[in-house]
Amino acid sequence: MSTETVGDRGVARASNTFLGDVWTNFMRWNINTIRNPFVVVSSLVHPIIILVLFTEVFGNVATGALSEGVSYESYLLPAIAIQIALMVASTSGISLGEDIESGVLQKTLVTPMNRAAVFLGKILSEMIRIVVSVALVLGFGVVLGANVATGIPGALAILGIATLFSLWFLAFSNVVALVTRDQESTTIVANMIPLSLLFVSSAFLPVSSMPDWIQTVATYNPVTYGVDAARALMLDADVMEVLDVTAFGGIWNTIVPSLAVLIVLDLLFGVVAVYMIGRASRADVA
Amino acid sequence: MSANNDDGRRGTRDTDRPLAIEAEDLELTYADGTEAVSNVSLAVPEGEFFGFLGPNGAGKTTTITVLATLLAPSEGTVRVNGFDVEAEAQQVRESIGYMAQETSVIAEMTARENLRFASDAYGVPSADRADRIDELLDLIDLADVADKRAGDFSGGMKKRLDAAMALVHRPPLVFLDEPTTGLDPKARNRLWDYFAEINDRGTSIFLTTQYLEEADYLCDRLSVILDGEIVAEGPPETLKREVGGEILDVELDDGAEARQRAAELVRSDGLFADDPTVEITDGGISVTSRDARERGPDLLVALRDAGIPVTGFNVRSPTLDDVFLAITGEHVEADAATDDERVTSAAEPATVTDGGAR
Repeated sequence: MSTETVGDRGVARASNTFLGDVWTNFMRWNINTIRNPFVVVSSLVHPIIILVLFTEVFGNVATGALSEGVSYESYLLPAIAIQIALMVASTSGISLGEDIESGVLQKTLVTPMNRAAVFLGKILSEMIRIVVSVALVLGFGVVLGANVATGIPGALAILGIATLFSLWFLAFSNVVALVTRDQESTTIVANMIPLSLLFVSSAFLPVSSMPDWIQTVATYNPVTYGVDAARALMLDADVMEVLDVTAFGGIWNTIVPSLAVLIVLDLLFGVVAVYMIGRASRADVA
Repeated sequence: MSANNDDGRRGTRDTDRPLAIEAEDLELTYADGTEAVSNVSLAVPEGEFFGFLGPNGAGKTTTITVLATLLAPSEGTVRVNGFDVEAEAQQVRESIGYMAQETSVIAEMTARENLRFASDAYGVPSADRADRIDELLDLIDLADVADKRAGDFSGGMKKRLDAAMALVHRPPLVFLDEPTTGLDPKARNRLWDYFAEINDRGTSIFLTTQYLEEADYLCDRLSVILDGEIVAEGPPETLKREVGGEILDVELDDGAEARQRAAELVRSDGLFADDPTVEITDGGISVTSRDARERGPDLLVALRDAGIPVTGFNVRSPTLDDVFLAITGEHVEADAATDDERVTSAAEPATVTDGGAR
């Protein structure tokens, strides 16, 4: 970055670059993550506990509802990957709420930094966390006996799907923070929604084994599409039950519609988030 | 450099120079219909230490957030460092520093990392960054703890770091929104010295405060805001003169009846050449008059003759407290400490209160 003089007032003008501003905020949030090991560890530990408990408690019962030869560990692991993506994404809004309450956001918005770059840097840092967390959970699941039928390329694709899936909720949790301007309210919303969404989706059991009303909810639940895409890669099978797609063949009948839904959701929530960020401090003025 | 006057307050400046802040008929109405500020006009010359004094909810923070581009005015024009806050918001942001009312340092980062973040945010050239950060750490007395987490700092240390973050790019104008609220007197005094030094180096400062003592000590000129409107403006000394003379505080031993009788005596006796203002206080009466000093002894004699025992008296120049009372009818929670008390006083600064926050 460099400075130049503008006008006739001798004011030194900063010439921040977009990428420079992204990097500044990316590094800021990376430091935040490293210095907050409790948040990192707890957002990892909770899904791992669920993975262990669910496979131990429901493993025998659930296996009966699954296709032949599919272990519950393999069936559940994609859901845990999506859960961890949701949990890390939920902390995005919480940390923004903290910034709003502490005045750091206000102070940041007064600087010449590009506002989109401020949030992009933050989101990129959180995406790194999501990738690392999901990779660790996948590794742990394999140790427990899960099998990624599509191999390492499939595992890498699951990381990509988990990250793509997280974006809509990441945007949503930030919108909640911008609307409520309160860390506590954001925390409640961010913690309540992921677990609820997981239970009314294809995460823990096949949708066809659940009551009709849950099947209906699951059809409109974004978690279903994230889990199904990841599970198709995990099991190397067309696992989608909520939509009957046959045009693409094999696992692509699950992956293509799931990706389409997730991309539309990401764009939709992303546009809302960008709009809210743009008017972050002007929302209340007539 | 502006030196302190005999009364301890810092020197005033000439106003014949370009304006750092120029606001005309600024109005801001929130979406719920609340009119936060109305008809606020300001003209702050470069290099001035300008104070914006008012109680909680008066509209100080709303005004400063408009000046700092965080809120768009509903009506009126506002220029900062020659740039329009709406049409040229980016240029305004490049030419100001801003210290929010909340202490907004990044808790997980060290003091040095916070300053580094601010340097990057304000586009300080990388060649200058390290020297600038070291210089600021020395200035705010945090060099010894530069690599400690800011979250572990005391309130005063955080405030100093916060202020330094607003100054890392050497802006010509700095906004300070109630920077000493909640600080103990020692920490507050250090921050005052720091602000004074920054201003002496030529930086214009726009300070909002509810502390009368702070405005009196630091500011070359100030505006008093109440319920979103400016009700008085000028140098502190000029505002004090507008109170209408000196103040004779008379302490009375007896109760409310004696104080009431003493006040009536002053009003009816014709002791003073002008029409004095009499206020009944907790311990006696306060008489404001142009000849309070000359006629004070006569009043004491008159009170003795009327059988009202006097236990003490004092003639003093008006303070901003008196100005505020005279203009707004608002009360001050505690007497502002004198300048001599700055370092040793254990009391919180005097604060202005009103009916409720906006």
